[in-house]
Amino acid sequence: MKIEFWGQEFKVNMVVGCIGGFLIAIMSSMFGFGGGPFMVPLMTVALRLPMYLVVGSSLLAIFFNTSISTMRHYQFGNFDLYFFLAMFPAAILGGYLAPQIAKRVSPLVVKRIACVGLILLALNLLGVY
Amino acid sequence: MKKKTGIVPWLVAAVVMFAGVNVACAVEDTPQVSGQPAAVVAPTITIDKTQLNNGGTIKVSGQVPAGKPVYLEVYAADHTVRASRFDADPDKETGVRPYKFYITSEMPAYYKIFVPKDLQAKIDEEAKKKNKWSYSELLKNLGAEAAYSVPAKAKIDSYQSTLMASIIGSRGDLLPTLDAKENRKRSMQLVKARFRKINNVFAAAIDVKPDGSYTADVNVREGLAPGHYKIVAVVDGNAKSEAATFENKIEFPNVYLANAGTNLNIFYPFFLTLAVAIFGVLMGAGGGFIMNPLLLTLFPALPHTIVAGTVTPTVLFSQASGIFNYSKIKFINWKLGCGIGAAMLLGGFIGPKLTEMITLDQFKFAFGWILIVLAALMLWQTTPGYLAKNKKEQAILKEFKKRAEEAAQGKK
Repeated sequence: MKIEFWGQEFKVNMVVGCIGGFLIAIMSSMFGFGGGPFMVPLMTVALRLPMYLVVGSSLLAIFFNTSISTMRHYQFGNFDLYFFLAMFPAAILGGYLAPQIAKRVSPLVVKRIACVGLILLALNLLGVY
Repeated sequence: MKKKTGIVPWLVAAVVMFAGVNVACAVEDTPQVSGQPAAVVAPTITIDKTQLNNGGTIKVSGQVPAGKPVYLEVYAADHTVRASRFDADPDKETGVRPYKFYITSEMPAYYKIFVPKDLQAKIDEEAKKKNKWSYSELLKNLGAEAAYSVPAKAKIDSYQSTLMASIIGSRGDLLPTLDAKENRKRSMQLVKARFRKINNVFAAAIDVKPDGSYTADVNVREGLAPGHYKIVAVVDGNAKSEAATFENKIEFPNVYLANAGTNLNIFYPFFLTLAVAIFGVLMGAGGGFIMNPLLLTLFPALPHTIVAGTVTPTVLFSQASGIFNYSKIKFINWKLGCGIGAAMLLGGFIGPKLTEMITLDQFKFAFGWILIVLAALMLWQTTPGYLAKNKKEQAILKEFKKRAEEAAQGKK
């Protein structure tokens, strides 16, 4: 499939994109996260698209997945209103505050901290400690 | 819910299909407690207070016929929760995996049986099996089968799952209503599926004197459903006391989460989400990755289905605002996004069904590995090779974004 973006043309292998997207969608809707960190590498590495094309479009693709999985979770009764109301304003507020903080910290440091944090969480979930 | 009404034609089909395959699989028969002679006097029960504030201890005392063990069945009378279990364990005799899905929405939000103190050893023994402990076996070993009554009456829906049904994201065909015995047996598995830990459903706390008088400290933990609770003293099937009632009160900021069946201080998830959302934006990943495992770790009382099902819509709105911002400056390729989005739509349809079918342990195991992969991705993004490439990419990204913003402003 050929797409055009800001005056440049790209060839996209939609078979790889769709299969990858499908698998990521199952996983992310099953465990209740967005899937961005998997989607971006898929599109940049496997589909060889440039970053500036990926940032917006991957978000759109993920949005499809998140909205349908929200509906399905709701249908299965997995949604709790009060719990949602406690988290939702915090998420919005966080979205506003984060860019202010982002100017002052190095993304490299954040990523390294995230790495350690994720490993610790993972080991906890796997029951290592 | 809406789902149940549309299922009637399926039910008919299911009955026809099921007629031929109704294999008897009653392995753990529960022996019927034979009725004692009519001489048995009903046990008495008195409690020292009728109100608790988000948990506490109630002293229970009473009188039973001398020489008999006494059990206390304690349950929440005002609130029920959902419990579900996907049965994919091979049948003990035939080795066939049944792939049946059991679900009830009538499980009491709190259910616990208190047994005499001298039975502590039997509970400890079962606890050694870790996650493999069996509710029905322990109930039998403790001799408490007569006390088990409330969940046994919960209406359980069962579904025959098939691969095809899973692909289209359905629970499968609804099977005919279970008979009382089967319902009782399955309800025990659901009690375990719901409350998971032995300490949540059994406690050895009753002192029985030789003359038949008993006292017990019934400890109701924090974070439970509000409303009325009932305590029934049971000696055997025929001899049950009147139900003593007490009320568990919770006050703001503790809020009862009806679907999760637990109350918690509403400020904890608020501040947790705030912190995670900020950190998520900084590291360039949505908050869902950190939010889910953190919630599971910090609030073990929350079922994983509720966590996944409630975090998803929270993430949804931050995505929507992101898309809105990008679309204002025309920085989205709709063709590409919708193309891959269509494939993700299918995946997103199936995923939530799978959440329901796996146990918490499987959920944690899979999530653990996902996080390790994610951590590896993050690590890769801090390697010098990636950084050099990324610097170029980011420069181009900024350049294009600037152009897009200027173009959007120029139009106004």
